[in-house]
Amino acid sequence: MRRRTVLKHGATATLVGLAGCTGGEGGQETTTDETTTDTGMRTTTEETTAETTTEESLSGTLKVATYSSFVDAPSSSPGAWLKNEFEKRHPDVTVEWKTPENELNYYVQRATQGVDVDADVYVGLNVDHLIRIDEKLGEKRLFAPMADQLSNYGHVKEGLKFDPKRRAIPYDTGYISLVYDENEIQQAPETFQDLLKDRYEGKLIVQNAKTAATGRAFLLWTVNTLGEDQYLDYWTKLEQNGIKILGSWSDAYTAYENGEAPMVVSYSTDQVYANRQDKDLSKHQVGFLNDQGYANPEGMAKFADTDNPELAAAFMDFLLSKQAQQKIAQLNVQFPATDWAPLSAEFQKYAKTPENPVTFTYEELQGNVDDWVDAWARQIAGGK
Amino acid sequence: MARPGDDPARAVGRWLERHAVSTLGVATALVLAVVFYYPVLTVFADAIRVGGAWTLEVVREVLTDPFYFGVLAPLFGGDFGAVAEVAAESPLGLFGFTAYQAFLSTVASVLLGLPGAYVLSRYEFPGRRTVRSLTILPFVMPSIMVAIGFVAFFGTNGPLNDLLAVFGLGPVNLLFTLEAIVVAHAFYNAPLVARVTTAAWESVDARMVETARSLGANPWRAFRDVLAPQLLPAVLTGALLTFVFTFMSFPIVLALGGFQLATVEVWVYSLVQELEYAEAATLAVAETAVSLALTYAYLRYEARQSDAGRAANPPPRKRLLPESFSPVAALERAGVVAYALVVVVVFVGPVVSMVAESVTGPNGLTLRYYQFLVQRQAEGASFQTKPGVAVRNSLVFGAATLLVALPMGVTISVLTTRGGRGRRLADALAMAPLAVSGVVVGLGMLRGLVFGVELLGHRVQVTGPVAIALAHAVAAYPFVVRNVAPLLGGVDRSVVESARALGATRVRALLDVELPLVASGVAAGAAFAFAISIGEFDSTVILATGSSSYTMPVAVERYIGNRTLGPATAMGTVLLAVTSVSFVVVDRLGGRWEA
Repeated sequence: MRRRTVLKHGATATLVGLAGCTGGEGGQETTTDETTTDTGMRTTTEETTAETTTEESLSGTLKVATYSSFVDAPSSSPGAWLKNEFEKRHPDVTVEWKTPENELNYYVQRATQGVDVDADVYVGLNVDHLIRIDEKLGEKRLFAPMADQLSNYGHVKEGLKFDPKRRAIPYDTGYISLVYDENEIQQAPETFQDLLKDRYEGKLIVQNAKTAATGRAFLLWTVNTLGEDQYLDYWTKLEQNGIKILGSWSDAYTAYENGEAPMVVSYSTDQVYANRQDKDLSKHQVGFLNDQGYANPEGMAKFADTDNPELAAAFMDFLLSKQAQQKIAQLNVQFPATDWAPLSAEFQKYAKTPENPVTFTYEELQGNVDDWVDAWARQIAGGK
Repeated sequence: MARPGDDPARAVGRWLERHAVSTLGVATALVLAVVFYYPVLTVFADAIRVGGAWTLEVVREVLTDPFYFGVLAPLFGGDFGAVAEVAAESPLGLFGFTAYQAFLSTVASVLLGLPGAYVLSRYEFPGRRTVRSLTILPFVMPSIMVAIGFVAFFGTNGPLNDLLAVFGLGPVNLLFTLEAIVVAHAFYNAPLVARVTTAAWESVDARMVETARSLGANPWRAFRDVLAPQLLPAVLTGALLTFVFTFMSFPIVLALGGFQLATVEVWVYSLVQELEYAEAATLAVAETAVSLALTYAYLRYEARQSDAGRAANPPPRKRLLPESFSPVAALERAGVVAYALVVVVVFVGPVVSMVAESVTGPNGLTLRYYQFLVQRQAEGASFQTKPGVAVRNSLVFGAATLLVALPMGVTISVLTTRGGRGRRLADALAMAPLAVSGVVVGLGMLRGLVFGVELLGHRVQVTGPVAIALAHAVAAYPFVVRNVAPLLGGVDRSVVESARALGATRVRALLDVELPLVASGVAAGAAFAFAISIGEFDSTVILATGSSSYTMPVAVERYIGNRTLGPATAMGTVLLAVTSVSFVVVDRLGGRWEA
């Protein structure tokens, strides 16, 4: 039944999308407007008129760069759906995914070396990336501001917008939290200070803040909550209480699943996935510290030297559409970044939201984040 | 050159034959320059060229930073007063700690590898050849798979602790300690030590031992004075390679040791991620200097060893079940059994655990991860990774690597064993691909080959399958050299000179006389070259950008999903199966002309 609904919505969206193009000629950019998707009703007349107009309006190849699990995760990833759906709406457009191993760094290096960037849109930016780009590239621009050209930008939640220059547009978000096994942890830690208690000795796995996004978010969370002057002391005590700091999120999560420790730093959407995999949910409890969770919005941006600005805008607007927002949430197992994508029943039941989401703004991180992370790393590393 | 009346094609053929070695030498140098030296030097230049200006500031800062160099830092900085203070705070520094763990890893690998070499070269038992072929397997296993296997096997709830509990022992908590790193490094490198030593042991001259014994030496003395000197160069080769590899190790350290035990390479990797190239390059140069110095010292030692010419004439192998009972024979067999148990724990345990993970879902046994592979192969989109394509690419690149690396390796072996001044230095430079970290090579390739170089207004780029095969060959040929050169140095010069006197060209003498004498080394080198190509990760992903040239280890990495390792371990099992079969085949084919 559910599959049929999805298919129907998919088909409807195509018609609506094409129809949107017909009506869009007076507007700024040709974009797909599908506010009425849920009604599921359209006539065939619109379809025929729409098709002819579309062919004239948008055509060509759009190169979209991203991190590889966005298109190629074995379980679920939004890439294939986004490509098919967008191509259905714009029959003359081909979306080409690009997933260089070094992800965004690959394009930063190309820009530094003066080599053509050879991509139109990047999907999967976070605020650290932006800060690094701005520090390293200086006057050379990698991305161009975009928000004003997107008709769906108004639906992006205010609190998630993380780029003061409005280049990066958020498309989903996650909250960093603890995930724990309630069979081993009878009383979950409620505050950062709790984690220092004897009863949690040797019980927590976190990731390396230098290389893993989740580890960095957890470190920034401690800086945010405990303050710039206190966080290093706090980490000294955490270390004395036997935390394990592993390389990547998947190293840490594997160790957690193998029972190396009953708590791990992960995402508050953990149960959505655990439930899909028929896992025992008692081993996938989500815990927030100080009623907080560190918000980690993911954004997309248009490369400054793209030859396809209109196509790029149409694609980015499409990612913010109601239907794509729902789909990304489901397939990327993250929260939508907009206010108009209703959460599925599964998400409502299993995904947890912190009472007080915290995060650092671009301005707060700029000029600080490298120092914070470096001081932390020097204190931890070196086999002392 | 052609005389009147001569067939021009034959004349060209003869010219080529006469100049084959030098032609190959030039070709090798060219490949090295394009695929290795140019890219790596571009990265190293970052250390002294910051923001468009030449400066030694970053180098000075790194060298005098106690965090990196411990007590050496104040010495480098000329601040002798600060030594005591630093010695109390961080005596080793990151470099010191890295060298310390590499030293421990090397000792463990040699201790674990030597008995293996003894059993493989001195005993005859069913399946010996197959086991010998499979010793190279750990070498190609992607570190992520090894980490998964180790975490699963040695973990708190893993099979090892279950086993210990049966005997009322344990539990042991190995993970996230220095011991875990050392054991995992031994998993990778003990087979390497075993393999090079086995090759040497199989080509010792048993008559010399018999002579010593007949002159009254006891077995121990005969071993120490006659056999050990013949084996030592191989053992030291294995130890040196192990030290260099474990000195530059990083995925294993990150996955099994935790960031508290970070090495220099872990640091270089994260600096590169943060685009801090000047500091990363300085550390990488320092790291390379250590490895190259060791390689150079080893080559000087090796050159002194390979003076005595000898013919391969190994002693006959013993049977596992002794023909007649004696206490000594029984004790030796008991030792072999004990060693076999250790092998099961260290090698078989993690590999089996990794395979077990691929057929275990949340609710017990499942084949769904293999179903995923089949489905992805059948229905996968063009931008997704298909297992069949990965298997095919791995085998094709492996074969291409053999074709390029064997001639390169043999050429360098011939050139360097034939003397000339500054030859050790040239040899060390030719060995440099071993001594430069994967992170640096990868970054250099990206900027040198993938982005291309501006030449006469055109951007010359090298990417795609040819570039991947060349990159693999550059990483692999040092192993051919290290397996062939010592044996080639030991070949009796008079045999070669007789052949030349009878009218054979240099290359004829090489092909017909020398290579058959060192066939076991060539076969071992070929197996390594193939293994390196199958297991290579860094340069493959970089050079495969935007194409369908991904290999099996790349597919394993890409199949690590959001909260599930199932598909990745299934792909890892496929890798294990495909490579096991190919190594047995390569070894058997190599063995045919070995006999």
